[in-house]
Amino acid sequence: MITTIKETDERFIATLSGELDTAAAQETEVALRPLLDSKGKEIVLDCKELEYISSSGLRVLLSILKQAQSVGSRVVLKDVNEVIRDVLNISGFISIFDIE
Amino acid sequence: MVSFKKGWLSRMGIVVLAAVLVELISVAQYERVRGIMQEEMKSRGHLVLERLSDKIQHTLETTEITMRENIWDVRRSMEHPDSVFPAMVRLIDNNPEVRGSCLAFIPYYYPSKGRLFEPYASKDSDGTYRVEQIGGPNHDYTLNDEYVWVMDHQVPSWTDPYKYGPDSVSFSTYLYPIKDAMGEIVALCGLDVDLSWLGDTLNAHHHFASSYCLLLTPNGELVAGPPADRISPDEVQKAVSIINGDLLESDFPGLSILKTTLRKDPFWQLAQVYNTNEVYARMHRQRRQQIIMVLLGLFILGFVINRYARNERKLLKASEEQARIGGELAVASRIQQEMLPTVFPSYVYGTLEPAREVGGDVFDFYTRDGKLFFCVGDVSGKGVPAAMLVSMSHALFRMVSKKEESPSRILQALNVELCRGNDSNMFMTYFVACLDLYSGELSYASAGHDRPFVLSNGISQLPAKSNLPLGVFPNTHFEEQDCMLEPGTTLLLYTDGLTEAKNIARQEYGRKGIQAFLESFVSGENQSLDYLVSSLSESAHQFAGEAPQSDDLTILAVRFNPEHVFRDSLVLKNDKSEVTRLSAFVKEFFQRLQLDKKIASGMRLALEEAVVNVIDYAYPDGEDGTVSVQADTNGEEVRFTLVDTGVPFDPTAMLEPDTTLDAQNRPIGGLGILLSRRLMDSISYTRRNGQNVLSLTKNIL
Repeated sequence: MITTIKETDERFIATLSGELDTAAAQETEVALRPLLDSKGKEIVLDCKELEYISSSGLRVLLSILKQAQSVGSRVVLKDVNEVIRDVLNISGFISIFDIE
Repeated sequence: MVSFKKGWLSRMGIVVLAAVLVELISVAQYERVRGIMQEEMKSRGHLVLERLSDKIQHTLETTEITMRENIWDVRRSMEHPDSVFPAMVRLIDNNPEVRGSCLAFIPYYYPSKGRLFEPYASKDSDGTYRVEQIGGPNHDYTLNDEYVWVMDHQVPSWTDPYKYGPDSVSFSTYLYPIKDAMGEIVALCGLDVDLSWLGDTLNAHHHFASSYCLLLTPNGELVAGPPADRISPDEVQKAVSIINGDLLESDFPGLSILKTTLRKDPFWQLAQVYNTNEVYARMHRQRRQQIIMVLLGLFILGFVINRYARNERKLLKASEEQARIGGELAVASRIQQEMLPTVFPSYVYGTLEPAREVGGDVFDFYTRDGKLFFCVGDVSGKGVPAAMLVSMSHALFRMVSKKEESPSRILQALNVELCRGNDSNMFMTYFVACLDLYSGELSYASAGHDRPFVLSNGISQLPAKSNLPLGVFPNTHFEEQDCMLEPGTTLLLYTDGLTEAKNIARQEYGRKGIQAFLESFVSGENQSLDYLVSSLSESAHQFAGEAPQSDDLTILAVRFNPEHVFRDSLVLKNDKSEVTRLSAFVKEFFQRLQLDKKIASGMRLALEEAVVNVIDYAYPDGEDGTVSVQADTNGEEVRFTLVDTGVPFDPTAMLEPDTTLDAQNRPIGGLGILLSRRLMDSISYTRRNGQNVLSLTKNIL
């Protein structure tokens, strides 16, 4: 699992690459911690390279979303593949994230 | 009720019609017989009268002949008055019918003899002759009507019959005029004919007690008839009046008179009187008897018809009832048959042949989580009650084994239900087993059922402990046993309809029969279960021959045939970092199968979530534990089995999280099991031997 974060004036862009399974969730959570202080900027999670996500991964995404919503930011999931979309569907996350 | 009344009326109608017909025939016959009898009687009566008149005629004629033949002797004797007497005697002697003779001279013929002279000879009944002169003041024959008549008409004549003498014998006298040379009548010769026989004849034999004959003069005066003690004089007088035309015969119903008249002088009349009531009395009696018989017959007929109709009605009702029951049985039979499995995978085949419409046997199987659950049961008894119990047990087996994996506990659950309200004390033998289609692990429990045969390298029987049948005691424990089956092993379950199939000599097919069959079968090729089961059934039927099937016959064959099975396993520590190993394991397992990426990913996620769940919850914090993961596939489905030794924990019992809440209210936990459930076809949990066993299966075709 490889995670990179780029910060611009308007937004944070985090690229998630690889498989976000239970084992990878913890390190990913650590890697994405800067997003918990989004300073009102929009957060874009680029999922183009994300191949797999487990419920632990979803939990990481949920905590980012909760924090962002509390400061009025929004979180966008970008380029979600079919497999991930299926999981989002089942879990109902599809309705609480902005999917682009 | 209306139809019953109608039926009753129509039946009575038939009886009445029959009565009318019989009566009509009877009346017609009666009239015919009456006519015949009347004719017969008339002809017979005429015959009697004919004979009678012939006889009278004959007597009279012989007398007339006697007179004509001897008149010369009389004439000669007349030369002297005294010689007349012997001539009279000679006249009598000439004819036995003649009882007396006389010669009445005209007045003063012999001056010496005075005015009236009538020599008279007679023969008494004792045969002595009496000769006397009877003419005189006391007997002035010249005043006699007949005398006068003959004198006037100058021709012979018969007097009307009269009674004379102490015997009151009937006589008639033939008067013959004797003329002199001048042609003047000088005397009348008379011959007295005894007609007493006529009275006897008249009243002699009569066909009917009330019949009698009458002799009358041409003027209709009664001369002879029945004695007064036989027929009352009034009756006789009535008949005489009718004969004389003073009364009409038709005024006296029942009275019938036949009459005839002599063909020549003296033209006497003969009549036969009879009472038709007597003539027909026998007929009337017969007819009365006949009517009684007919009425009796009709009564019996009515009774029989009524009975017949009632029986017919009962029979009709019974046959309707039977048809209805038959129809319902057919439906029941169909329902029962439809409850049985009809589609068989290659590793199971079963057959059930009920001895009657509905059976007391059952078999069933189904696959769940890569495990084959199967059972065979047999109710004590046959027919509808057995079928009801069987259907109940069948439904219970399906219901219970959905949740329960242990054959022992499945049997216990069935037993409790079957014991409930089992007042008829019926019981069932049952065999329940669960075969792991991947591993060949077989667990089974028997409730008094015959031990199944095992076909492996040889033929043996499962060493199943018998236990009590179902429905006896609610708290029976059914010991569960298990074993591993070698690949290719076949189990053969059956009911006693197979072992107890009897031939005409009442010998049983028995286990020996099965054994013998299996031996010949094993020596052949590894045939399909379908072929095995139908050949075995065929073998039992051939053994039974003509003998009827006495019991339901059920055979179920199961084969452990893991030809296409692939399995791999992995043991993980209760550490989430182990998920990496799990991911690698799953990927490698999936490589063998050409899976759709989305399905593969879904199954991997389901397995990971289930494993993480165990890691999270099965063991107390800080305690080391393991979770073993086994992945099986037969090319059709994939099954994951997770086993851990942690605290009892059933993830399938967890409530699903609400996936419609917004982000702020969304709980963190519970998502994992939701994903597992949605991404697999089924998840089942059992606690076995102190272990949590969780199975996840998915069809991959």
